[in-house]
Amino acid sequence: MATGKRSKRFEVLENRPVHKDGFIGEWIDVGLYAMGSPKDPKPSVRIEGDKIVEMDGKRREDFSMIEQFVADYAINVKNAPEAMAKGDLEIARMLVDVNVGRPECIRVMTALTPAKVSRVMENLNIVEIMMAMQKMRARQMPGNQCHVTNVKDHPVLLAADGAEAALRGFIEMETTVAVARYGPFNALALLVGGQTGRRGTLSQDALEEAFELEVGMRGLTSYAETVSVYGTESVFIDGDDTPWSKSFLASAYASRGLKMRFTSGTGSEVQMGAAEGKSMLYLEILCIMITKGAGVQGLQNGSISCIGVPGAVPSGLRAVAAENLVTMCLDLEVASGNDQTFSHSDQRRTARTIPQLFPGTDLIFSGYAAEPNYDNMFAGSNWDIDDMDDFLSIQRDFKVDGGLRPVSEENVIAIRNKAARALQAVFDELGFPPITDEEVDLATYAHGTKDIGDRNIPEDLKAAERLMKEGVTGVDVAKALAKRGFRDVAESIILMMRQRVAGDYLQTSAWIDTDGTVYSAVNDPNTYSGPGTGYKMSDARWEEVKAIPWAVRAEDV
Amino acid sequence: MTQVNEQLIADVVRQVLNSVNGNGGSSPASFGSSSGISAADYPLGVKRKDLLKSPRGIPFDELSLENVESGKVGFEDFRISPEVLKLQGEIASSAGRSQIALNLGRAGELTKVPDVRILEIYNSLRPHRSTKEELLSIADELQSKFGAKVTADFVREAADVYQRRKLLKGDLVSTD
Repeated sequence: MATGKRSKRFEVLENRPVHKDGFIGEWIDVGLYAMGSPKDPKPSVRIEGDKIVEMDGKRREDFSMIEQFVADYAINVKNAPEAMAKGDLEIARMLVDVNVGRPECIRVMTALTPAKVSRVMENLNIVEIMMAMQKMRARQMPGNQCHVTNVKDHPVLLAADGAEAALRGFIEMETTVAVARYGPFNALALLVGGQTGRRGTLSQDALEEAFELEVGMRGLTSYAETVSVYGTESVFIDGDDTPWSKSFLASAYASRGLKMRFTSGTGSEVQMGAAEGKSMLYLEILCIMITKGAGVQGLQNGSISCIGVPGAVPSGLRAVAAENLVTMCLDLEVASGNDQTFSHSDQRRTARTIPQLFPGTDLIFSGYAAEPNYDNMFAGSNWDIDDMDDFLSIQRDFKVDGGLRPVSEENVIAIRNKAARALQAVFDELGFPPITDEEVDLATYAHGTKDIGDRNIPEDLKAAERLMKEGVTGVDVAKALAKRGFRDVAESIILMMRQRVAGDYLQTSAWIDTDGTVYSAVNDPNTYSGPGTGYKMSDARWEEVKAIPWAVRAEDV
Repeated sequence: MTQVNEQLIADVVRQVLNSVNGNGGSSPASFGSSSGISAADYPLGVKRKDLLKSPRGIPFDELSLENVESGKVGFEDFRISPEVLKLQGEIASSAGRSQIALNLGRAGELTKVPDVRILEIYNSLRPHRSTKEELLSIADELQSKFGAKVTADFVREAADVYQRRKLLKGDLVSTD
């Protein structure tokens, strides 16, 4: 462009990190369009008896499998005529009006067609989306989830990182593998680490679906999340599933007393080359409605692993916030993304998280990296452990609850050490390859795998296979811990096993407190209705958030 | 570990016998839709422990580490029962979430289906895996062998949709 003499300012700007990011203009035909594409269907509904026979301009006989599922299971047919008759703008205003309660908003939003929901979202700017989130999220108290992974699948480091993350306040944690056959050990390490750090921590092992279900049935994990759904029929089939197979899988999880949520996100259909010219938000609304129809309690969305796509188009990050809001408006738990690297710019990284962090969501991140970026096996998160003090400062600056707490170095060292020793004991009891005292020490003080040695990988993998073959369960792990003096951790694992008998955490937006009490949208529903209502930090919680150890104390000056 | 597996098998057998003989803890009939359970009883693990027991009838409070160590309680006791899934479904309904209740209803039926068979049926429901007849026979199996009426109808519905959208085994994979 600038062929003549260059502006020094432009030269400087071109070398800023943001110029390494991908940006692209709107491209309607391939679906590179955030929200409100001219090719999106126009809202309509026609009902005969108790069946929807036309939806968004399409007759029932022409419905894709997705449209049929959504029409039959996700939309409240009884309320639909009244709700669909309301104006797009009128409904958008209800969502931000503090005088209209959440239940009334839910009643209307769950009776709309996908195209109508999309129209409502198009009427909201980003601040209005955030205002609506504050009122519409299902559970009153916000929470946070992290990733616990490393490039070596080092079990001792996983246990130590899991314990530290739980101590820092993450109520859920998710691992995945570098090498698939390490999967069983990763689940075991996270179970021991998570329960050492904080009794009640929910943990999962994101891998192939049948494996996830199996380790869940064994009690080595307590929930699952990577059960993907898509917004077009062809992409859904490429993913080797249908709404019926995924609903059956959801029921299978519940039949074993396991919590689960689906996963979807804007941009996945574009990325797989089959968006049918529809906007990303419209297709994502179909995914949210499939989740609703399946009777699954919640959804991980907010573009997730496709964030580069909405992140590149105009109004894309507004659409990502809107998809989180739609999830809340359909009365589902939301684990709201922020879990994948999408920008080289620290400013953009932070801005991308504000719409979820400031209003609060059930799980603001569906994967804050509890390890350094190089050890994150989900391809890097938007925030990682090296950003932790920035995050704690922002909570304090704005008096906003992001679910995390300042911790002391000695407490972190102590809990990491305890988790590493607990896993050492479990490995020894179950006859797995020994964990040396040196490995325990290295994991206690490590920043990441660069500070830790190598395991005998072939031996570990053989033992991991044996773990599956012999049917090791959470009960066996608890027994091993109790025998070796880690009685409190053993009690925690039994507490988690008991959850699957009671089933309380199958309800919407559930997390487990240290005494085993489950809090969810049933007993902690969001009651926000304007200033002075809704979630407010307790005095004790605010004292905790304020107390970043590196702040100068007035009494010391 | 072999000892654990024997214990597990023994427990499963006991559980199956109990359900066949109709004396496996509380019978589903005692939890009709008139159980009167609502969101006010939640969480059951705190407020209504009296309603919770393992599939072979061990009370919730006895599912402890001590009893695990003594061998009185085994892995199979940490399993949700169809009765409790029904209660959780009623709680979800009373909180306005009818779809969750439907899912938990199917889940209650699936508690009786063995792990391996569940995974097989899931795979059969994936696109282009089964003929219509195969899906209908799975539905019949669910209904007659496991009493899973709601899930059976769900599979029959899938068979119809798969036929209409050409997602059965042998249907050409759409290229558009």
